[in-house]
Amino acid sequence: MIVCVAVVGNQNNPLYIQSFTEADDALKLHHIVHCSLDVVDERVNNPKKSGPMLNEAFLGLLYPTDNYRVYGYLTNTKVKFILVTTDLDVRDADVRNFFRKFHAAYVDAVSNPFHVPDKKITSRSFAERVSTIVKSFGLSSTG
Amino acid sequence: MDPAKTPLGQMLLDEITPVVMVLSTPSVEEACLKNGLSFLHMLTPFSSFNNIDVPVRTASDQPYRLQKFKLRLYYASAVRKPDLEVAKEHLRQVITEAGEKQFSELSLDTPEINHVLENYQSGNAPSWLHFFNKELIRAVSFSEHETFDHPVACLLAVSSKDEQPINRFIDLFNTNKLPSLLNDGMMDPKILKHYLLVHDNQDGLADRATKILTEMRSTFGTSDCALLCINSSTDAPVKHEENPWASYLWQNSDGSPGQHLGFFLNTDDITMIKDLMQDFSSKHIIPSMEQKIRVLNQQVSATRKGFRNQIKNLWWRKGKEDGTDSANGPMYGFSSTESQIRVLGDYAFMLKDYELALSNYRLISTDYKLDKAWKRYAGVQEMMGLAYFMLDQSRKEAEYCMENAFTTYLKLGSSGQQNATRCGLWWIEMLKARDLYKEAAPIYFRICGEDILHSAVMLEQASYCYSSKPSMLRKFGFHLVLSGDRYNKCDQIKHAIRTYRSALSVFSRTTWSHIKDHVHFHIGQWYASLGMCDVAVKHMLEILACGHQSKTTQELFLSDFLQIVQKTGQTFEVSRLQLPVINTSSLKVVFEDHRTFGSASAANTRESLWRSLEEEIIPSFSSTKSNWLELQSKLISKEYRESNVCVAGEAVKVNVEFKNPLQIPIPVSGVTLICKHFPSAVEVKSDENISRRENDNAGKCEELTACRDMCSENSFLASEVDFLLRGGETTMVQLSVTPREEGTLEVIGVRWKLLGSIVGFHDFDFNHVKKNTLKGKGKGKRSTNEILKFLVIKSIPKLQGSIHPFPDKAHVGDLWHLVLELRNPSEFPVKNLKMKISHPRFLNIGNQESMKSELPACLMKKVDSVPSGANANPFNKSDTVFMFPEGTTVQGATPFAWPLWFRAAFPGKISLYISIYYEIGDISSVIKYRVLRLQYNLQVLPSLDVSFQISPSSLRLQEFLVRMDVVNKTASEDFLVNQLSSIGSNWEISLLQPADTIFPSKSLKAGQAVSCFLTLKNCRSLLAAKDNISLVPKPVKNDIILVPQGSEDSVYDVSSEPLVNFHHYEKQQQELQHEAQGDLNTVDFVLISRPLQSNSDAGFVGPPVVMSHYACHCSTASTGPISWLLDGPRTLHHNFSASFCEINLKMLLHNSSDATAFVRITTSDSAVNGGHLNSANTAVSESSSDDQGGWRHVTPVNEVKVTSNISGTQPETPLSLGSVSPYIWSGSSSTKIRLESMSSAEIPLQICMFSPGIYDLSNYVLHWNLLLAEGQGDQDEMRRQSGKCVGYTYYLTVLQST
Repeated sequence: MIVCVAVVGNQNNPLYIQSFTEADDALKLHHIVHCSLDVVDERVNNPKKSGPMLNEAFLGLLYPTDNYRVYGYLTNTKVKFILVTTDLDVRDADVRNFFRKFHAAYVDAVSNPFHVPDKKITSRSFAERVSTIVKSFGLSSTG
Repeated sequence: MDPAKTPLGQMLLDEITPVVMVLSTPSVEEACLKNGLSFLHMLTPFSSFNNIDVPVRTASDQPYRLQKFKLRLYYASAVRKPDLEVAKEHLRQVITEAGEKQFSELSLDTPEINHVLENYQSGNAPSWLHFFNKELIRAVSFSEHETFDHPVACLLAVSSKDEQPINRFIDLFNTNKLPSLLNDGMMDPKILKHYLLVHDNQDGLADRATKILTEMRSTFGTSDCALLCINSSTDAPVKHEENPWASYLWQNSDGSPGQHLGFFLNTDDITMIKDLMQDFSSKHIIPSMEQKIRVLNQQVSATRKGFRNQIKNLWWRKGKEDGTDSANGPMYGFSSTESQIRVLGDYAFMLKDYELALSNYRLISTDYKLDKAWKRYAGVQEMMGLAYFMLDQSRKEAEYCMENAFTTYLKLGSSGQQNATRCGLWWIEMLKARDLYKEAAPIYFRICGEDILHSAVMLEQASYCYSSKPSMLRKFGFHLVLSGDRYNKCDQIKHAIRTYRSALSVFSRTTWSHIKDHVHFHIGQWYASLGMCDVAVKHMLEILACGHQSKTTQELFLSDFLQIVQKTGQTFEVSRLQLPVINTSSLKVVFEDHRTFGSASAANTRESLWRSLEEEIIPSFSSTKSNWLELQSKLISKEYRESNVCVAGEAVKVNVEFKNPLQIPIPVSGVTLICKHFPSAVEVKSDENISRRENDNAGKCEELTACRDMCSENSFLASEVDFLLRGGETTMVQLSVTPREEGTLEVIGVRWKLLGSIVGFHDFDFNHVKKNTLKGKGKGKRSTNEILKFLVIKSIPKLQGSIHPFPDKAHVGDLWHLVLELRNPSEFPVKNLKMKISHPRFLNIGNQESMKSELPACLMKKVDSVPSGANANPFNKSDTVFMFPEGTTVQGATPFAWPLWFRAAFPGKISLYISIYYEIGDISSVIKYRVLRLQYNLQVLPSLDVSFQISPSSLRLQEFLVRMDVVNKTASEDFLVNQLSSIGSNWEISLLQPADTIFPSKSLKAGQAVSCFLTLKNCRSLLAAKDNISLVPKPVKNDIILVPQGSEDSVYDVSSEPLVNFHHYEKQQQELQHEAQGDLNTVDFVLISRPLQSNSDAGFVGPPVVMSHYACHCSTASTGPISWLLDGPRTLHHNFSASFCEINLKMLLHNSSDATAFVRITTSDSAVNGGHLNSANTAVSESSSDDQGGWRHVTPVNEVKVTSNISGTQPETPLSLGSVSPYIWSGSSSTKIRLESMSSAEIPLQICMFSPGIYDLSNYVLHWNLLLAEGQGDQDEMRRQSGKCVGYTYYLTVLQST
């Protein structure tokens, strides 16, 4: 199950962070997302490690914590997408697919002329779209 | 890198060293205690050697020299496994102490991240952590499965004072008192013993001691005995330059370093101790260890080395496998081969023969593994890792071994936890030694066991790993937060605060507000729990503006904050309080210098709008007037120019926007402006800059108190506002300050009280704010603080004005009589009043006489009076500025009133601006004149929509048919249409039908549309044409009463004052919209109506009595000055079989212009003009099918039938004619005539037809040319000097006669 998705701006400022759990763990997820930026930075600064993944937006598994897997995605404008999931064995293709859809949703959201760049994404339709993407991710991984 | 130089190497060289068990008698201790030291402590500083330089030969034949060597001394009672609980307690102690210490060193401001990083760079963690780690490692010493903690030697000390010292020696090594390790067979009881006789020189001479020593030597052997004389210094206490014990004892944290340790030990004593220890290690311990290594090595090679032994071992092990399988594996006595190998390895390790150690560890590890003796196996693996490390070989192997050991320990559960911790720490150190900090951090994380306190410390250390370069700051912060959380759980609040504050340095500059709030909130809470409420409040303030949090969190934050504040029992004064948020960019200053405002909305209107309005009424002193400032600068000194001017007694208003970012309501009270008042302007001016700077430096508090003091001095009066901000609400608050004395007033900021306990300040410091947001006189260049600085001048009169009753709502056309009322409360008169109105279409200035007039009576046509020419055209006054009559002054209590006419000209939301200029009479002031600005808003609703369509009458020249369409556009209002009038005396109108039939219901209902037809006659041309001589204007009937007869309404006089004035403006306005036609051919109509009184709603101030609608410039014709009429038969019968038909037509021409015209009529045959031919043809062909609607209104119905019959009988004829033209103009194709001004002419025309049908005789063209008199051809007329008109439709029906 996807626990949390986040959009982080190029100044590493949170633009959108949404958890999909009932529990009151917003703070924890904030921390997890925040920490994963370290790993993103590391990946970006040491491209050698990810040699074949040049020009690849998908950053892969960022770091495995005890209960969560954190995946990352870096757009060309240095906006990061973070996915936190509790599924310990997720197929890479699923995650890639998720990020592709998510990216499309994000692009649509920021193309809104009323969206202020580098400000939090408040669009309700974006939130709805994200939640459907998240739901569909759950389905595809189980089915 | 030399592994021995690394921290881990140092640690190993310190910790994995031979242990010497010390046994001493009480009298020995007594002698030592004189120096404040125990016997053990006395020896300790001298038991480590940096340059011992002893040759060592272990298993190999090649000797090497040992340089560094250390002995660990322990009392026999301490040689046992430390009690877990005691150790824990000890560790807690250590942490608490460190917490206190670190906390007291903590500065109060948030550390800068760079600073923090520098501190922790390269894992340079706080020193207490090192100490803590050491203690942790020490907690697992003397375990059974490791032999490097097992004593290699025993030091027996007996005092010379003791009775029977020889027996005492034997007693000391009584097995009952010895540690369990020796007794239960875990280690070889045959241990190297060294006998030491301690002599206290204070007890007398050493004679007895030497005697005992000889005795000892004979009993225990010469080499194993020694004499130590201490306390030689009898008289003066010895001061040691560098006290060797101080550092050591402090490390153990028992005994304070301030004591005079080693009181009675002089240099000789110390040398003796040194020699003794050196002797002991180099001559006894090392050789005995060498010896043992060699012996064991031989045994091991005999039993285990070689192929045969290995096979045997394997076989033997396998057989044993299913036997004992306890948790710790089988027990191994000291004599078992396994133990011996382990001892051999450890000894070799201690003597730094790591190769030998490693090979033995390797050998034994497989055995232990096979035996499933996991703890031992882990221990050996651990040692292997360390040996690899010390050899600086195969890093991978080393790490693998460590990891293996670590996981194995962890698998053992709680019994292995402590060992796992030690192993982990060593592993971490190993990684750190290789700069693999990032890899070390997760191990810290793994060390975290069930003990929360320990894991807190470990997490903190892990975070420091992340701070090393390249730093991972976010993880650093995260681990600190985790660690702080755990500290908090163990009541180590101070540690928790420390870690959180370090973490804050990471988060403080990010926008991760959730995390930031959490950190600040907890720091605040913890500080509060420590009673440091002021610091707590400081942190709590950071989280007040937590709009992004949930409502419950906001409530929690706020209530906690309040609690803390109440705990302090004082009101806090906080500069830049976050709650509520002040939108500085919305700040607006309204002050009145020469500009005064009638209402707030007038003040909010753009300055440029006012300025353009007032352009003409403000006196201009110079030709190059660019703005107000320059204008004034001619009059007033520089000082006045630089500041804003305000008048004493008149309020300066500042609009401030407060926003509540929270979802919960917050009460804000006592909102006032913070101001400064300097009594004299001169003083400020003299050193303006300096004084201001001084004020800034003086600090806020002083200023504030000063402000309050000054308040009481009554030099100014600031208003105070209380309000409640609901969740998410934004309120604009108007604050005002009224200066009372001349001088300088400066608005510095705003203060308010939040929740009744916190006082917030906000300085209007605009250095970072855009300046153009402020209202002012374009002071972009000036410093922004200047904008809030006012020069207070002495009181001058100020006019107050109002228009009443001013409506909020009106319908288009509503006409009202309003009164402008001006008051001047001051005693000085004002004079030279001028007024200008932005929308003269709406507001019209009346005459003084019409003050008393009433609607609608004043509009009625007086029965007896003839409309006087003067009254009809009173429009001499300029439409721009209205000058009040000379000598008008306003003073005192009596208001000055002046009538105004209001008419709603067009629908929409309208703002009317009125500027009234006045000059100040008798007093001398920098301000000579002032302007009162009034603004009124109203909403104008649509009412009636009137449109006219005029077409020339086809019957008579100079007569027109007019269709008037009136639509009631309101939703609910009904109107009574009273009267339609044409303006001026040139046009006469009359109804075509009785008024009753137009308005059967007498009124125009909401949404109803009505059309009526009128005839319009141009009297002017007729008059001019007929009686040129007579100049007496005849009364012309230009009013029509539309109200059904019997109504008592009399006729409205359209030339009465308001109506004619508004007509003037409407005409001007509509002139702009329409393409203006010639003056003479347009007509203006006025429709006067009244609303039915029944349903007038509340928005209207009294039902307006009269409404007027103007339609100006209704064009009568599009032909220019020439009008013509084609006259002739419309229908005729002709027998085409006999001949073609010849028809005579007449054209009447009329020149309505003032000039003589030349007109040329050109007829064109239809053959030439294909279009006309075709249209005629199609007209005929369509007539046959009789489906064209266009037919009917052209020809009478009965004739259509005839036509259709005929065309039915001969349908082929028109078509067969094809290109032959159906008619031709006969006679001259072009006629040219001269038409005098205002004259008519008649021209005969002839036409020939060849077949029956309906013809459109429009294919002629009129060219006209005006012969203009000199001077008449000005710009306006130029385009109308000549023109061309295309003939209009004239249908002629020709029928075949029978």
